[in-house]
Amino acid sequence: MRSTRNVVNGARNGDGDEPAHYSDPPLLVLASLAGGPKHGHAMTEDIAGMCGTRLGPGTLYGAIARLEQLAWIEPLPAEQRRRPYRITPAGLRVLRARLATLQQFAQAGLGRLEPL
Amino acid sequence: MNPRIARRLTRLYPRAWRQRYGEEFEALLEAGPSDLRTLANSIFSAVHEHISPSQGGNMDPNPSSFRALMRRPSAWLPLSMSLSALTMVVVSLAIGLAQGGKVTRDPDEGAIAHIWQLLMTVQMPIVLFFAIKWLRRAPSQTLRVLGLQAGAWLASCAPIYLLHL
Repeated sequence: MRSTRNVVNGARNGDGDEPAHYSDPPLLVLASLAGGPKHGHAMTEDIAGMCGTRLGPGTLYGAIARLEQLAWIEPLPAEQRRRPYRITPAGLRVLRARLATLQQFAQAGLGRLEPL
Repeated sequence: MNPRIARRLTRLYPRAWRQRYGEEFEALLEAGPSDLRTLANSIFSAVHEHISPSQGGNMDPNPSSFRALMRRPSAWLPLSMSLSALTMVVVSLAIGLAQGGKVTRDPDEGAIAHIWQLLMTVQMPIVLFFAIKWLRRAPSQTLRVLGLQAGAWLASCAPIYLLHL
């Protein structure tokens, strides 16, 4: 699964004026679906609102396909041409573990920044 | 996005992917903008899907099955190379028999002999790549494919050695 490519993007220049956007498509999709079942367009909007990252349609469906293969998300019956997805219990476990690791990392990183 | 452009972009994806996600992907494209970023993202992802299929959804429940392995270029390419080499030998023999009535060894190896040698040797690194990549992940299925590849290779060599060509 693609997970570490372009972990942070959006900082076009190195002066730090622009906020960096978190970009780990599968994790973003899992986090979005943790808030309830959604179809592709709703996921894109939700993720953009959550962290400022707007996933491209190809990236989004690449993540959906891989997450579905891993059985971390599952499709629901289609609504016209749109198909909602929901997170599975296994997906929830993975999301919880990944977010806990990120939280630990963020706390450690911020702790090191404090004295500076 | 214009539905026609959305349909064209969706068609860039592999057929199995389109059958599973095509309709909803097209609907998503139609709901979004048709800017350069979206186009580039869709094209890049389609190429990525061809190179490294996600096998998501119900496209293939078992990506390590014999059938799925046989679809890998590193599995079928050596097979088709051996079979092409065998076909070349058989056709060449048939033409020789039809013209002269007997099989003779050409002292100066012609173009067919060189192509045969090329087909038989170039497939070796491909077979090696396939074995290294898949033997650990799916041993029994990989051995079956390797058996087929070896069988085709031997079948192609057989007329050369048996008829002393």
